[in-house]
Amino acid sequence: MADAAATAGAGSSGTRSGSKQSTNPADNYHLARRRTLQVVVSSLLTEAGFESAEKASVETLTEMLQSYISEIGRSAKSYCEHTARTQPTLSDIVVTLVEMGFNVDTLPAYAKRSQRMVITAPPVTNQPVTPKALTAGQNRPHPPHIPSHFPEFPDPHTYIKTPTYREPVSDYQVLREKAASQRRDVERALTRFMAKTGETQSLFKDDVSTFPLIAARPFTIPYLTALLPSELEMQQMEETDSSEQDEQTDTENLPLHINTDDSGAEKENTSVLQQNPSLSGSRNGEENIIDNPYLRPVKKPKIRRKKTSLLLTSPGLHVPCRADRR
Amino acid sequence: MPPTGLEPARMNRKKGDKGFESPRPYKLTHQVVCINNINFQRKSVVGFVELTIFPTVANLNRIKLNSKQCRIYRVRINDLEAAFIYNDPTLEVCHNESKQRNLNYFSNAYAAAVSAVDPDAGNGELCIKVPSELWKHVDELKVLKIHINFSLDQPKGGLHFVVPSVEGSMAERGAHVFSCGYQNSTRFWFPCVDSYSELCTWKLEFTVDAAMVAVSNGDLVETVYTHDMRKKTFHYMLTIPTAASNISLAIGPFEILVDPYMHEVTHFCLPQLLPLLKHTTSYLHEVFEFYEEILTCRYPYSCFKTVFIDEAYVEVAAYASMSIFSTNLLHSAMIIDETPLTRRCLAQSLAQQFFGCFISRMSWSDEWVLKGISGYIYGLWMKKTFGVNEYRHWIKEELDKIVAYELKTGGVLLHPIFGGGKEKDNPASHLHFSIKHPHTLSWEYYTMFQCKAHLVMRLIENRISMEFMLQVFNKLLSLASTASSQKFQSHMWSQMLVSTSGFLKSISNVSGKDIQPLIKQWVDQSGVVKFYGSFAFNRKRNVLELEIKQDYTSPGTQKYVGPLKVTVQELDGSFNHTLQIEENSLKHDIPCHSKSRRNKKKKIPLMNGEEVDMDLSAMDADSPLLWIRIDPDMSVLRKVEFEQADFMWQYQLRYERDVVAQQESILALEKFPTPASRLALTDILEQEQCFYRVRMSACFCLAKIANSMVSTWTGPPAMKSLFTRMFCCKTCPNIVKTNNFMSFQSYFLQKTMPVAMALLRDVHNLCPKEVLTFILDLIKYNDNRKNKFSDNYYRAEMIDALANSVTPAVSVNNEVRTLDNLNPDVRLILEEITRFLNMEKLLPSYRHTITVSCLRAIRVLQKNGHVPSDPALFKSYAEYGHFVDIRIAALEAVVDYTKVDRSYEELQWLLNMIQNDPVPYVRHKILNMLTKNPPFTKNMESPLCNEALVDQLWKLMNSGDDGTYFCKLKIK
Repeated sequence: MADAAATAGAGSSGTRSGSKQSTNPADNYHLARRRTLQVVVSSLLTEAGFESAEKASVETLTEMLQSYISEIGRSAKSYCEHTARTQPTLSDIVVTLVEMGFNVDTLPAYAKRSQRMVITAPPVTNQPVTPKALTAGQNRPHPPHIPSHFPEFPDPHTYIKTPTYREPVSDYQVLREKAASQRRDVERALTRFMAKTGETQSLFKDDVSTFPLIAARPFTIPYLTALLPSELEMQQMEETDSSEQDEQTDTENLPLHINTDDSGAEKENTSVLQQNPSLSGSRNGEENIIDNPYLRPVKKPKIRRKKTSLLLTSPGLHVPCRADRR
Repeated sequence: MPPTGLEPARMNRKKGDKGFESPRPYKLTHQVVCINNINFQRKSVVGFVELTIFPTVANLNRIKLNSKQCRIYRVRINDLEAAFIYNDPTLEVCHNESKQRNLNYFSNAYAAAVSAVDPDAGNGELCIKVPSELWKHVDELKVLKIHINFSLDQPKGGLHFVVPSVEGSMAERGAHVFSCGYQNSTRFWFPCVDSYSELCTWKLEFTVDAAMVAVSNGDLVETVYTHDMRKKTFHYMLTIPTAASNISLAIGPFEILVDPYMHEVTHFCLPQLLPLLKHTTSYLHEVFEFYEEILTCRYPYSCFKTVFIDEAYVEVAAYASMSIFSTNLLHSAMIIDETPLTRRCLAQSLAQQFFGCFISRMSWSDEWVLKGISGYIYGLWMKKTFGVNEYRHWIKEELDKIVAYELKTGGVLLHPIFGGGKEKDNPASHLHFSIKHPHTLSWEYYTMFQCKAHLVMRLIENRISMEFMLQVFNKLLSLASTASSQKFQSHMWSQMLVSTSGFLKSISNVSGKDIQPLIKQWVDQSGVVKFYGSFAFNRKRNVLELEIKQDYTSPGTQKYVGPLKVTVQELDGSFNHTLQIEENSLKHDIPCHSKSRRNKKKKIPLMNGEEVDMDLSAMDADSPLLWIRIDPDMSVLRKVEFEQADFMWQYQLRYERDVVAQQESILALEKFPTPASRLALTDILEQEQCFYRVRMSACFCLAKIANSMVSTWTGPPAMKSLFTRMFCCKTCPNIVKTNNFMSFQSYFLQKTMPVAMALLRDVHNLCPKEVLTFILDLIKYNDNRKNKFSDNYYRAEMIDALANSVTPAVSVNNEVRTLDNLNPDVRLILEEITRFLNMEKLLPSYRHTITVSCLRAIRVLQKNGHVPSDPALFKSYAEYGHFVDIRIAALEAVVDYTKVDRSYEELQWLLNMIQNDPVPYVRHKILNMLTKNPPFTKNMESPLCNEALVDQLWKLMNSGDDGTYFCKLKIK
């Protein structure tokens, strides 16, 4: 009875799903296997003495069985591949079962048990063909240096690239327009964001959001921000300096540049000299030409001490004062 | 009252040289200043001075010195304790009990107070009694050493402390201190004889934090660590005799730059600004070379130092062998506009090193010689550096300024002579202040004084030639340098002092010319000349009948008698005529050279020899006169109002090559709004060879003309097509080219044209929509990415242009200004201002020029009733901690608000700031702005004018220790 109910259930579910099956051969194939498994589970249950079973438990058991068998198959395949074969042999299965903790020795006795039920073989259904991906173009044949057993080339569309270009915008007006509006949008968005996240001032008492002004914030050292060029400007200046090679560059500017560099170098040198008085002797006198009282080392106070000790301490002492000044 | 001066008879000891009489009964030869403790936290200074003096009279028993706000602990003379009295009458100018409160009374009291401590009269705040033990010593005229221990706490003037409130040590915070002040104000920071005429040698010692540098006058002899190694002492020696008033000091964590061209010149700036310093000072050696060359004299000091400091009292201050500049003069290579201004400041300070620091003056009434010479050689530098056009333009500008000032206030007297010192023969009774002392002057008067001084020097040059002029200067300098090297003959040192009579004597010796009339006219007497000229052409006699009238009765004017040059451009050429202006002759007949019959197709020769084609169709067929100029060389301090026909002005504008003439014709053409004027101006605007400043003023004139002829104007708004042609893309005329400011002339023009265009108005007196869109597009398409220079000034001027386009809002019965009734054009403008102002917070522009322009524009919108009038925004920008330019712009708006809205609260806020702001420059500036744009005037009824305010101002004036004196307009 239980068996009948189970099979009936299985059957009904089979027919129900069968109504759909005509549309999908792959589903059909899997459903047939599943139904067979269900029959197996039902018969095993009957064999174990169950008279009826709930559908849910049958399903669960079927699921477990299916997993178990799948696992055996998967493992067996691994073992066979491990030994560089493609078809599993019996020994692969045995190793698998052993590995899964199954006592193989009991298997022949179980197969020959008396009360076993024989169930009909599942109907033969064809393995569904995996639908071929849409082929686009002709697959390329292997070039002669590639052995033929190597996989085929994939479809051409997967590796052939056909770069496409949009007609570049070359209209000056459009470009300028675009640059201008882009900059404006960025600026507006940025300032609005800043205004929203910080304190604001407003020109209208009743409305603070239409024209939000970022609140004025006093600086501790106001002249720095006012006088030093921003990093953006510095960068820009370098760019224009390097890109521009027009002969217009005022002659005044060029020697000027060199000179500031010179002075920088000189200053660097003098400070080096002062840091390492021991080195100054070995250096050529060129850098020493500048004798400016502000660059001279600071003298030690007159203490009655041995001269040698003074000399020893002096190099170390000049360093901090130099460093402070920077 | 302070003790009266010493018996004058004893002071008149002749020194055996050029008649310099010291007002003091002793001669100072050497002074030591030692400041051994400077506390930035408490803003205090502790130190001592030691004066070495030689009595010049036997019974010297009191020594008067100058000292202000110093606390004096102890005075010793030759190691003997000496009693002393300290009294500073300027602390309370008028005594409390007096009920009289008017400007006249105050002015007299103030002059008396200043005079009571005037070192040039032998007076001083500090009176030291010579101990009786030394009387015998004194009688033998032996040396006295006066040792004074003093301290200074929270000084209100003289020394200015800048201490930013950030984390870190004082050096890391960039704290610094420097000496500052107006004229002789060294007494504010150490006791001395604070006179320009008392020279001595100096030893200066400053002990400062090891991370700081002390910069002072003379040669840095050595720097020595203190025993604890935490501080160091800078030892300076100044062997060239120098007046105490030329002593200065700057201490701070400066970055040091040795000038790559002149190793004895050292530049100092505040931390992080070194790259700017390098660029800014890279030009200085050329100024040195120029002055040394024209004066044929080496720079007198063995070294020179420039220090750039924050919160400067004035932009430029020159002291012996060092100059103190405002840090705001520093700029990078990307900045165009600031460069010439800064170079001017450098050149100005260097000129004063020669005349002002090295050569000092005998008395206050000789000040004009020093200011005149330094201003004059500075002008020569300007001519060489910026060209003749710029120079002439500058002279014209200065001339206009002094003329306007003198006509307004009644005269500037260069060389006041005070006979007997009685008030009744006060030579400047038209002024509300005494001109007897530099400290009683108004700031503006002194500026104008300097302006007039150099203009008069130029007049002298016109008379005796530049060559002789430079010889005179050379003579003064070589005399001085000989004297300065006489280390032990201090009586020779007075040769380093210049006096009016000595200078004039030099001139007559060198040139052999008598310039007495010129001196009498411009130096010994105040006032300028006002000419009115008109002419008629007498065809029969072929004579130009010129009528020149003078106004010498209005205040600030004087009568001119003497030669006057008139230049007449005729068809056959340009001819100079020298007229003799006499008492009663108004009419002058000038024969013409050309026949009025025009020789067709003949080129017309100009003054400079050029021959040009002219379209003569505009001129009067009967007259050969193209244009007439009166006093073309500006050799009289004058104002000329000349009448000639519009076409003559137009010819003058087009063809006269002198920039001053062009400028004058532009000014005159404003009165002739005709298509011909329009054409002449447009042509000038387009002419590349034309001086850029002339083209700039042509822009504004064109805008005015366009407005006057609005009903007949045809074509696009004035200047628009011109601008498009010059600065916009060829293919899309509404888009401006990406910025390239390589050509400064066109840069200035590009900046100015939109500002002038925004002044255009249509028939409804509104700014044409087309113009506004045009300016908005300029802002929109502004692209500076490829530019070598910063565009901050350009963008700032675009905002100014937007502000110029604003017209008063149409208000329906005083409705409240809200967003909803905002004019759509104003909305666009406000959108831009908001964006610019906000971007400034993220990417600040150089000197925050854009913020400044935005603030001004917002005030314009408020004033025109588009935006509710509210000073809150400006007050927040006016706070201490903003860049000074921003503060000034914001304060200007508050001052304006105070006037327009008659707000007592804001006036109080301003007065409070005047009293308490840490930056003296800002305090002065507020007062200055309040006097320029007073909240109410004398005869006006105003709720602001009440008893309490008068009390407050009176108190302010009475206790004022520096420039707080000039709030005159409001009291009455």
